[in-house]
Amino acid sequence: MSKVKTHKVIGLRSTLLSLVLFLFFILLSNQFEPYNQSQLANIAMLLIAVLSITLLTGASGQISLGQGAIMAVGGYSSALLVTRLGLSMWLAFILAIFVSALFGLFLGLAAARLSGPYLAGTTLVMALAIPSIAVRFETFFSGDVGLSVDYGMPPEWLTKLIGEVSIEEWSLYVVLPFTAVALFAVLNLSNTRIGRTWRAVRDNEVAASLAGINIGRTKVIVFVCASGLAGLAGALYGFRGLVAPSVYPTDLSLTLLTAAVIGGLRSIGGAIFGTFVIVFLPDLIEKVTNNLAIPETVGIYLPALAIGLLLLLTVILNPRGAAGALEHLRHKKKH
Amino acid sequence: MTPFLTAFFSGTAQGAIYALVSLGLVLVWRSAGVVNFAQMGQAMFTTYIASQLIQNNYSYWSAFLIALISGAALGALVDLGLMRPLTSRKNSQLLNSQSMRTTIPVIASLGILGVLKALAGIFWAGEERGFPSPVAPNAIKIGDTSLAITGFDLFVIGTVFLTLVLTTIFFTKTGMGLAMRASALNPEVTRLSGIKVGSVRTLGWAISGIASSLAGLLVTPRTNLSPNTLDLLLIIGFTAAVVGGLSSLAGSVLGGFILGYVISFVNVYSAPENVFIAILAFLLLALFLRPQGILGSKEVRSV
Amino acid sequence: MLAITNLVTQFASIKALDSISFQAKPGLITTVIGANGAGKSTLLRTISGLERPSSGSITWFDEELTHKSVEAIVRSGISQVPEGHAVISQLSVAENIELGGLFRKRIARGDLTIATKEVYELFPILFERRNEPAGSLSGGERQMLAISRALVSRPKLLLLDEPSLGLAPLIAAQIISIINELCRSTGLTVLLVEQNANTALAVADHGILLALGKVVADLPAKEMAADSSLRAAYLGY
Repeated sequence: MSKVKTHKVIGLRSTLLSLVLFLFFILLSNQFEPYNQSQLANIAMLLIAVLSITLLTGASGQISLGQGAIMAVGGYSSALLVTRLGLSMWLAFILAIFVSALFGLFLGLAAARLSGPYLAGTTLVMALAIPSIAVRFETFFSGDVGLSVDYGMPPEWLTKLIGEVSIEEWSLYVVLPFTAVALFAVLNLSNTRIGRTWRAVRDNEVAASLAGINIGRTKVIVFVCASGLAGLAGALYGFRGLVAPSVYPTDLSLTLLTAAVIGGLRSIGGAIFGTFVIVFLPDLIEKVTNNLAIPETVGIYLPALAIGLLLLLTVILNPRGAAGALEHLRHKKKH
Repeated sequence: MTPFLTAFFSGTAQGAIYALVSLGLVLVWRSAGVVNFAQMGQAMFTTYIASQLIQNNYSYWSAFLIALISGAALGALVDLGLMRPLTSRKNSQLLNSQSMRTTIPVIASLGILGVLKALAGIFWAGEERGFPSPVAPNAIKIGDTSLAITGFDLFVIGTVFLTLVLTTIFFTKTGMGLAMRASALNPEVTRLSGIKVGSVRTLGWAISGIASSLAGLLVTPRTNLSPNTLDLLLIIGFTAAVVGGLSSLAGSVLGGFILGYVISFVNVYSAPENVFIAILAFLLLALFLRPQGILGSKEVRSV
Repeated sequence: MLAITNLVTQFASIKALDSISFQAKPGLITTVIGANGAGKSTLLRTISGLERPSSGSITWFDEELTHKSVEAIVRSGISQVPEGHAVISQLSVAENIELGGLFRKRIARGDLTIATKEVYELFPILFERRNEPAGSLSGGERQMLAISRALVSRPKLLLLDEPSLGLAPLIAAQIISIINELCRSTGLTVLLVEQNANTALAVADHGILLALGKVVADLPAKEMAADSSLRAAYLGY
């Protein structure tokens, strides 16, 4: 009885949290000018990819430096479905989840045999190799030029309902439902039996296997779920205008990892915080450098420098990220 | 010259450089249990230092030497300033979990990579620049037929060969080399023998820094120098290390040469666009067929 | 003299050593006996610096060892032969021995050669097999190698952790008697941890009986060997 009840409570809590996030983004976007509205939409997309890392690394301890490549898989599959088969954008997004999850299944079968640095290195090689496939099979994937896709115009019923909707707002409205559902899914997963199994594998593989957990299968399942999420993020990210190798560079994978780490690998709130940082920090730095009249040749490297330093500071000061630091403070106050 | 010989010679010269990178990775992996993804970032940085010195009218060889020394210093600095404090902290909750202990150093090394790239961009502007070679890159001629091997290739192969011989002598004939091997195999018994395992580990980082710095100096005359040029070398070096066996120094060198031939033959017989896919396919194949590598020994997982 | 005073070593909330005090006199063999889990190994590991004590002190003559690093403790003349014939099996026999004296290479190269010669004389079988990997040795030979590795550092205090564990009785007796001879002929101080109380007490001068992390008896070896009630209560025979 009580078990059923807790499940219901958890379900209710994550529904509420996801709705709150949804409303928070909408309210925030009303305060913003178009540029920041599109940045907000970027956050909503990238958050899904960062959540996939939180799931993968934070909940099961596997590290992927190649989430950007899986985003590319999602991006290309959705773009091809729309441009070649003329499918609707919404259906293409959903299908992209399945294609990337299938890809994640193959990847997971290889990854289940790997751990730590092997997995990190292999996924890094993947991050570099996957986008190059698009160049190799140029006729199918359009090579370096890429595929042009976009969110289209806001539908009439919406403009009738809430008045004029700008392109930027429309992109946010398209992305947000997916973000909310993804958040809901991740929240639920980490609080259930499956989530606990994953954490057991993360903390001590030998102990987990002695407790009867099938390590290999667990790792594959985690990879499939995380890949589905990353693929969805990649599809949404591509529909900002272009799906091409240059949209999913190796640096994207590393940036996503940075967001997950600085927020706190084990915390979903941390993932949200980290995503805000990686998207808005470069803008902030640009503003400061413009005011200080720092030459542009130096200025363009400052965001990368700041993000790298932030990553280092996080692992040195508190490897559990901002969320961990917050918890630490709360703990201190109690005593 | 037949395509086969062309591929063979260029594969040997490239393989020699990959062997250095892979050796550097395995050195740190064996002595510190960390795969250093910042390794080629460090090499990129020291190659820029050499390039700057040459611009300031220093001779090639003094720049070469200073680059190697800064490679050693940078390697030691990464260990002392970052890795040692990270791995010594035991009570942090995140590091209590097994997988996180190996994950956090990887993330830290990615942080260093990011910082080094950004700094290189700030100091030397991001655009590609050339890097000189001490030997003319012309094909060697015997009579009227030109061979598929250049003087520069011979220089690369010779330098790497010399480095490998010196490394082998260091590891098998000197006390410090013995201490390094012992620390990697069994830190506890080594400490109980009165050896400062921490310092030995730092030395491992320094030597790895020299090896990768040398790789940077040898590869950039062909690829040019930019903050991102050496990323590819890291990926190839990692694959080589996995193919040869992350736990074996000899394996890492072998892996480097194998990768050199694979890439070179794909380049000649197939197309340059296929190189990335070939690397990925080769890596996955190696991981499935022989996860411990050609010369590696199976890791024993203890309860 | 090795003096242990109120030593406490904790693992999380469990006290493996619960305020232990005793002394080991120079030039003599002191044996620490006790059942499994009594804290014998923890005691040796704390003395050699592998475990950090939470309170108490360890001194060797006037030297405070309590918070020194493992390497520094070895360098002040205290060598441990860890449990389980700890040698590095991938290295050759000669390399294992060389490892033990490596830290003295620069300061006492000449003496190192002599020390190496001495251990080869003590264990001729090791000389015969000096170029083979240590992993190919038998259990008894490995124990000899582990002792040799410790001896080439010219220790003043030798800490032995269950040297007879897992060895055939004849080999075990041989190793214990060699340690006995070494102590008598060179004035080496020995702290011998053993589960096999009879063997240990037969050669030792003094006995310390540990139970659940506490010292329950601190007697001359002969008296301890004669006290059948102690044995019945703590060792179960």
